[in-house]
Amino acid sequence: MLRLAFRGIASRKLRAATTMLAVFLGVTLMAGSYVLTDTINDSFDQIFASSYEGIDVVVTPKETVEQEEREPPAFSQALLERVRKLPQVEDAAPSVFSNVRILTQKNDPIGSEFAPNFASSRVPEGFETLTYEAGRRPQSPREVALDAAAAERKGLAIGDRVKVAGERSAASYRIVGLVQLGDASFGGAAIAVLTHPEAQRVTGKQGKVDQLLVAGADGVAPERLARALSAELPQGVEVRTGEQTAAKESSEIAEDLSFLKIVLLVFSGVSLFVGGFLIFNTFSITVAQRVREFGLLRTLGASRGQVLRAVIAEALLLGIGGALLGVAAGVGFAGAINSLFKSFGIDLPNTGTVLAPRTVIVSLLVGALVTLAAGVVPALRATRVSPIAALRDAELPGSTGARRRLTAALAALLMLAGVAITCIGLFGGIESSGQAASLIGGGAVAAIFGVALFSPRLVRPLASAIGRPIEGLRGLTGRLARENTMRRPGRTAVTAAALMIGLGLVSFVTIFAAGVKGSVDDAIDNNLAGDISIQNTDGFSPIAEDVGPEVTRVPGVGTVSTLATANARVAGVSGDARVSAVEPRTAGEVLKLDFVDGSGDDLASLGRREAIVDRTYVESHGIGVGDKLRVTTPAGKRVEYDVVAEVRDNADFLGDFILTQQAFREDFGESKPFTAFVKLEPGADAGAVQGRIERVVDRRFPAAEVLSQDQLKDSQSEQVNQLLGLIYALLSLAVVVSVFGIVNTLVLSIHERTRELGMLRAIGMSRRQVRRVIRYEAVITSLIGAVLGMALGVLFAALISSPLADEGFSLSFPIANLAILLVLAILAGILAAILPARRAARLDVLRAVAYE
Amino acid sequence: MEDPNSTIVSAADVRRRYGEGETAVDALAGVTVGFERGGFAAIMGPSGSGKSTLMHVLAGLDSPTSGTVTLDGTDLGPLDDAALTELRRDKLGFIFQFFNLLPVLSAEENVLLPLSIAGKDPDPDWVERLIEAVGLSDRRDHRPSELSGGQQQRVAVARALVSRPAVVFADEPTGNLDSKASDEVMALLRQAVDDFGQTVVMVTHDVHAASFADRQVVLEDGRIAGDGPTPPPGAADVGPTTAGR
Repeated sequence: MLRLAFRGIASRKLRAATTMLAVFLGVTLMAGSYVLTDTINDSFDQIFASSYEGIDVVVTPKETVEQEEREPPAFSQALLERVRKLPQVEDAAPSVFSNVRILTQKNDPIGSEFAPNFASSRVPEGFETLTYEAGRRPQSPREVALDAAAAERKGLAIGDRVKVAGERSAASYRIVGLVQLGDASFGGAAIAVLTHPEAQRVTGKQGKVDQLLVAGADGVAPERLARALSAELPQGVEVRTGEQTAAKESSEIAEDLSFLKIVLLVFSGVSLFVGGFLIFNTFSITVAQRVREFGLLRTLGASRGQVLRAVIAEALLLGIGGALLGVAAGVGFAGAINSLFKSFGIDLPNTGTVLAPRTVIVSLLVGALVTLAAGVVPALRATRVSPIAALRDAELPGSTGARRRLTAALAALLMLAGVAITCIGLFGGIESSGQAASLIGGGAVAAIFGVALFSPRLVRPLASAIGRPIEGLRGLTGRLARENTMRRPGRTAVTAAALMIGLGLVSFVTIFAAGVKGSVDDAIDNNLAGDISIQNTDGFSPIAEDVGPEVTRVPGVGTVSTLATANARVAGVSGDARVSAVEPRTAGEVLKLDFVDGSGDDLASLGRREAIVDRTYVESHGIGVGDKLRVTTPAGKRVEYDVVAEVRDNADFLGDFILTQQAFREDFGESKPFTAFVKLEPGADAGAVQGRIERVVDRRFPAAEVLSQDQLKDSQSEQVNQLLGLIYALLSLAVVVSVFGIVNTLVLSIHERTRELGMLRAIGMSRRQVRRVIRYEAVITSLIGAVLGMALGVLFAALISSPLADEGFSLSFPIANLAILLVLAILAGILAAILPARRAARLDVLRAVAYE
Repeated sequence: MEDPNSTIVSAADVRRRYGEGETAVDALAGVTVGFERGGFAAIMGPSGSGKSTLMHVLAGLDSPTSGTVTLDGTDLGPLDDAALTELRRDKLGFIFQFFNLLPVLSAEENVLLPLSIAGKDPDPDWVERLIEAVGLSDRRDHRPSELSGGQQQRVAVARALVSRPAVVFADEPTGNLDSKASDEVMALLRQAVDDFGQTVVMVTHDVHAASFADRQVVLEDGRIAGDGPTPPPGAADVGPTTAGR
């Protein structure tokens, strides 16, 4: 029977190729995701291992509350002396390692968009982990050693100058050395090594350090040294051996990256899911076409089991074959995904290629399972062929009416259940976001299956609706195309369903993104009273503390008020709270707050130990005006704040509660703001003042950008668009698979209709007309998929966004974008039809007429 | 030979070779024949005699290895696929053994198919007359799957006649029909020749079907082995040649 399976594959090469392709593409993305993330993880392991190589013990700040866009607060360098006094310590060195922006003299960033730049202290010789490829270590405050890869990227050499923009205004440094960290690559990141005092100054950490590197005295093991240090040093710091530190930092990165891996795997899952539809359809059609062959086998004594095994073996061979090719291609594809990320500014380090056994095993298993799942129903159908079928021009036993009604009822039930499960995930008050997401996702999958199962009943009306205009325009060819799609509604439905999934997801994210953009615009309009905002060019990192005072001096500027955010923990509340810090005196001029309890006066007079709380926080945690917020700050301090007012912050613009920046500095150990809002003097020329501010910012704070309110909206929607672009790129794979599904169905249907097409050609249908019929057939099929997909996309966008309405999410339907999607679906159909149409047109009329 | 002016389709020393070298087969080994306008001819012969190939070559479905085919004054030799398609569309009608109706169209739509393909408006009176003649007035909206074999073949006959072609080619039109349905279809073809002045060239190995024709051309091993008027009834089983079932 295995030989039969091989023969079956060999005799239908095109079908075998597309089936394999369906598995291949999904597995390629899957294997590629594994390879890429494994490689990145491995690279970071290398980076951290090299960074702490030979370092006995590292002292770092304790992270009490996990911060999103901030570094943990630095700690006092005074600890250095206490460390040095210990008898177990041979030597210790202070070090700063902090986010900055490194630029060329022309303000051209040295790293790629979202990759971090670091300023690091030059450490004494004994603690050095960097190797100098060229030049020497920086000696004076005006000297820098740059990482060799970054220098090469920008064509910089020793003697050239770069700027480092940190907390203070940007300063210029002469490159005296080029460094490398072992064999590790930093990806798009860049490092500038400065003298320790200069590193402290530029990062605004005077008197503070991010790390103490400690070397033990002779014969003192790192573990013993670490214990001794822990006993000596205060609570606010963490003491680990070099190895432990490397392992911890690696695992933190791996945790961050696991999100990336999951996202990529979800997209590969989508492709494979779509591929499953293609495989199911292909096997269904070929089983139908091979009825005679199966009948013959049965006549010759083959059992039902043998027929079943033959078909399943064929499916498995194709699945595993496709998966094998997919794994091979995935290794190369990892590079492609990395380039894709790079083109969106996410440049992660990857050195060498890691192909873990797990990647190969999981890929093969998934390839086999997908084909098995998709092939089992057609295979079972093949076993229903009776021996007599060999002797007759028999058709596969069809489903009875009752059975069809049952299927439709089940499908409808599945759709409803899917929507219901999604609703439970959304509104069921499920605490764990992971569980909620699984419910929403699972519900969506169930709904998709339901629609796919039900869709044979929708094919007729949809094909009619879509086909009529084509028929009106093109007459006979349109008519035939429409009728052909309605001939076997099940086949058309499954083909369209594959496209439906891809386009459903695309329309979902399109609608959702439009909602996000609209909401951001609303949030800006509703919350900002200022004219100009100054933020980091990357859109999320903090800006220098000096920006505010500098910009205040620009002529035409009325008020500058800054906003900072951080996470904190509140007693009695699980999870972290998002906290904003404002400058109370001026905040009212740049921010619009909607007070539920209290007024603008409470904001203006907000005290050091006072807080303003958001209404949703009050509602969910019952901490309101008159109560106390017991907060654990990122610096590890426990502080109580009196709640003096309550605001309605629909856009969640200011987080859960608002404090003063003084409290932030003193309790949180944070001083860097994220945004500086500027209110112009009455009657000032907005354009001219913005120009003046830009000149100051460009010169002194090149890591920041100056945006008017409209530009701010544009920059926000630009970020959404970038993310959207990335998602589109990843979803396109699923769409490609479904387009191949259309190709496959058309080719197989054309094969079935050989005689019919021959007759049409014989009685005078031109090749062009034949091609047209096939093309319209493909377009109608793809439009059915698009219409169903959009309906699902709209439904789920509306469902999933509804709990967000409280947070200012305004759902809107980007009609133009959806119209473009329809056009793209038409193009996909036309594209899918090229090969089948050519085949149909090339058909030998004589063979076709004589064909049995 | 007939008067060349009344000859609608003719082959002159036509050869058709399939394959190459040692295994080459001459399906037609030099055939010269003409069919007169308004005649009903049957091309007969055993399997492999080349009768189907001759029809295919005459109808522009296959091109001869050598020799010329002239249809309604046009030499088919130099025509490319597009021109041949147009010629078939405008000047020929076809009836096949397996009916070959489009299952997705109704009986009437199938009849009108050649006109739809050409983008021509049907002549309603003519269509009405045809549908009546083939006896499908009350089944015009039925799909082929709802019709019997004989009914389907009658639709095919009407389809072949609808564009008033120069020649109707019929390839074993009774091959898939019982004797009653066969007789009905043959009577229809006879009527098309007698009443509508249609030219019909039919390939068949069914002697009874051939007896409806005016003339019988017999092929054997790719050559014409006999050509003459159909013998009167009663002599049908003898036939003009040795051709049989």
